[in-house]
Amino acid sequence: MDESKNSYDTNQYIVIKIGQEQYGIDIRYIDNIVRMQKITRVPKVQSYFKGVINLRGDIIPVMSIRLKMKLPEDEITNATRIIIIKPEQQAALGIIVDEVKEVVTIEEKDTEKVFYNAKEDINSFISTIGKHNNDLISILDLNTIVNE
Amino acid sequence: MDVSQYLEIFIDETREHLQNLNEQLLVLEKEPENKDTINEIFRAAHSLKGMAGTMGFKRMQKLTHDMENVFSEIRNDKMSVTASLVDILFQCLDALEDYLNHITESGDEGTNENESVIQELNRFLNGEAGTVSDAERKPEVKAQTQNTAAGGAYQPLYKDMVIESYEKKAFLSVAKDGKHIYGITVYIQETCVLKAARAFLVFKSLEEIGEVAKSNPPVQDIEDEKFDFQFSVYVVTSESIERVFQCVNGVSEIAHVLGEEINLENIKFNDEDKEMEVKQAAAASAPIPKQAGKPVINHTVRVDIEKLDVLMNLVSELIIAKNSLVSVSENSDSNLGTGFNEQIEYLERVTTNLHESVMKVRMVPIENVVNRFPRMIRDLSKKLNKKMELFMTGEDTELDRTVIDEIGDPLMHLLRNSADHGLESAEVRKKRGKPEVGSIFLDAYQDGNNVVIEVRDDGNGIDVQNVKEKAVNRGIITPEKAETMDEKDVIDLLFLPSFSMAKKVSDVSGRGVGLDVVKSKIESLGGDVEVKNKLGEGSVFIIRLPLTLAIIQALMVVVGNEKYAISLGAIQTIEDIPVADIKYVEAREVIHLRGSVIPLVRLNKILDIESSEENSGNMTVVIAKKGERYAGFVVDYLIGQQEIVIKSLGKYMNNNKLLSGATILGDGEVALILDVNTLI
Repeated sequence: MDESKNSYDTNQYIVIKIGQEQYGIDIRYIDNIVRMQKITRVPKVQSYFKGVINLRGDIIPVMSIRLKMKLPEDEITNATRIIIIKPEQQAALGIIVDEVKEVVTIEEKDTEKVFYNAKEDINSFISTIGKHNNDLISILDLNTIVNE
Repeated sequence: MDVSQYLEIFIDETREHLQNLNEQLLVLEKEPENKDTINEIFRAAHSLKGMAGTMGFKRMQKLTHDMENVFSEIRNDKMSVTASLVDILFQCLDALEDYLNHITESGDEGTNENESVIQELNRFLNGEAGTVSDAERKPEVKAQTQNTAAGGAYQPLYKDMVIESYEKKAFLSVAKDGKHIYGITVYIQETCVLKAARAFLVFKSLEEIGEVAKSNPPVQDIEDEKFDFQFSVYVVTSESIERVFQCVNGVSEIAHVLGEEINLENIKFNDEDKEMEVKQAAAASAPIPKQAGKPVINHTVRVDIEKLDVLMNLVSELIIAKNSLVSVSENSDSNLGTGFNEQIEYLERVTTNLHESVMKVRMVPIENVVNRFPRMIRDLSKKLNKKMELFMTGEDTELDRTVIDEIGDPLMHLLRNSADHGLESAEVRKKRGKPEVGSIFLDAYQDGNNVVIEVRDDGNGIDVQNVKEKAVNRGIITPEKAETMDEKDVIDLLFLPSFSMAKKVSDVSGRGVGLDVVKSKIESLGGDVEVKNKLGEGSVFIIRLPLTLAIIQALMVVVGNEKYAISLGAIQTIEDIPVADIKYVEAREVIHLRGSVIPLVRLNKILDIESSEENSGNMTVVIAKKGERYAGFVVDYLIGQQEIVIKSLGKYMNNNKLLSGATILGDGEVALILDVNTLI
């Protein structure tokens, strides 16, 4: 592995799939990716929290990003993964995604800020849109996912 | 000298000394003639002075020095203890504490000279007739002995040398051979550049005629030049004293030598662990009365709490690993053989003991927190102009260190509350036929897996009607609502933020921060607060805290298809109750059990668990207790008792305090820990 960062104006993202759309998560905030496992339900919490899992002795809450985005309930398949994210100065959190595709490198000049007419809630979870080859990848804004 | 590495020890020990002084002064205030106390105070003040001086905290040293003078006068019966003197001394302690806080924060003592306090002290010193000259002379004498070399006067310092008991034998044996023992003090000229070399030459020439049996400072220090311009030795030789002098004077740059033959009886043998500083004090001022059997050697080590946290985490990991071994052995149908099971049981025993030991190491007696309260109550008594007394029991009750650190402020709030709002003024108390002096009680004791701390007073108690009016006036509740509230609901109002009952704002309490802070603090520690109240007779605030924070014994239960853990400490009994025994009171399910009516809590409803088929025969009820209230929790079945490690659920999920955390079971599965206290 090449330890040194290529340069400071490129970022690496893990591309995930939720429904039909592709999202990117900044690789710096990703602690781990694990297979779907038994989630212990926690009663009386926000509905988009599916419960907690045991990750090598640590209790990690797991959130359904679909429910958070007001999408239909997750369908658990063989490709379903839990991505453990670790936002800066906050505790780790798992999010359920339909599929993890690849790691891409996107240069900063290939990203664009998004402006919406704020009709759909889901848009607020996206910070920028990145272009990679001929695909568009919505970069998730972890802070809003975690804090709202 | 670089003393920064000793700073932490200095701070710790100074705190101890200050606490000790506070306590002893309180005693002295009540028993002005108590000699033991006065001696104790003198010793503490003296140690403080020495420590502050070593660390270079001049202002602190000066203040303690003046205090020491006062105590010295008291000890010598030249001054008597008066109330105003005690007041001043308390002020001195406060000033010292300020210095200490400043040191803790910034590493230096600050610039507050505390002139006024020192002046007050000296006024007492001078004010008492006939003591002026003594008081002034003494420090001078002391200064002289300390700076002999600088002052130029040559002192027979060899007389102060102390022979350790293990060295005594050597002395006795040489004396038998008809040799002489000479005590010698050598002064080297202050202009001398290589004093260690000169000292070395002195030693060398002395060793030609005899043997240097003992030197002060020790030889090693002399070689390292760690001495002023004099040193003392005991020389054992068969030569005469003149010959010895001649030898020493043969070395150049020696200013003066003095010495004499020593009889064994005159040598100070150190048979016990007498402290040097006590000896110095004895040499400097009046002789200290010998204190019999006082020095107790403390077999303790100060350990950083973080190191203990690491240890605790490792023990937690070990217990989880052990639990998973247990579950492997249970699932593999005994084909592992009995040897394996025995080893598992052995491991279980060891981990449990290890856990207990680590917990014990972290336990600190509550005394460390509460011992400052008598002083606080004394001050409050003066400030509020009410007579009151604090009675404490169970100071040796132990709590986890992390709890101890946090519990001080809430307790202080409650005590102030009792002193300010609880107790009536002396006139009112007289009218009501109560003793004029109000009593505040602080009782701590262990109750199952909890530690209970009660703050009780014999004052007026909480005037529920009054609270209601206040709440209505402030728009916290509507008058209609006030009508329907029972006493408990009203008292709960007191714990709301910004609800202060004080009729006038004082600096004791009554700023609206208090009870709500108390409550949130206690809850953050996993405990709760309960209030018992009787108008006209007083009130009791009961704080209940968990004994341990990290690892508990728990009962594992199954509800639906989910596993939950309930702390064993809260559980009274487990009952098999026929469904037919359920009765209804105000549309709530209750059971009648051995004379008490216990409300039932259906866990599957509270936890939103899709209920398994309603079983028709018996149901398993876990009876839990909180204070004097009971509740029965209906579960599907029990798994058994298990040692579990509490892990936090984190901050992302808000679960209405129903759960106190989660734990990892032997098979890696996560089980949630029910906080039954919130459900009772």
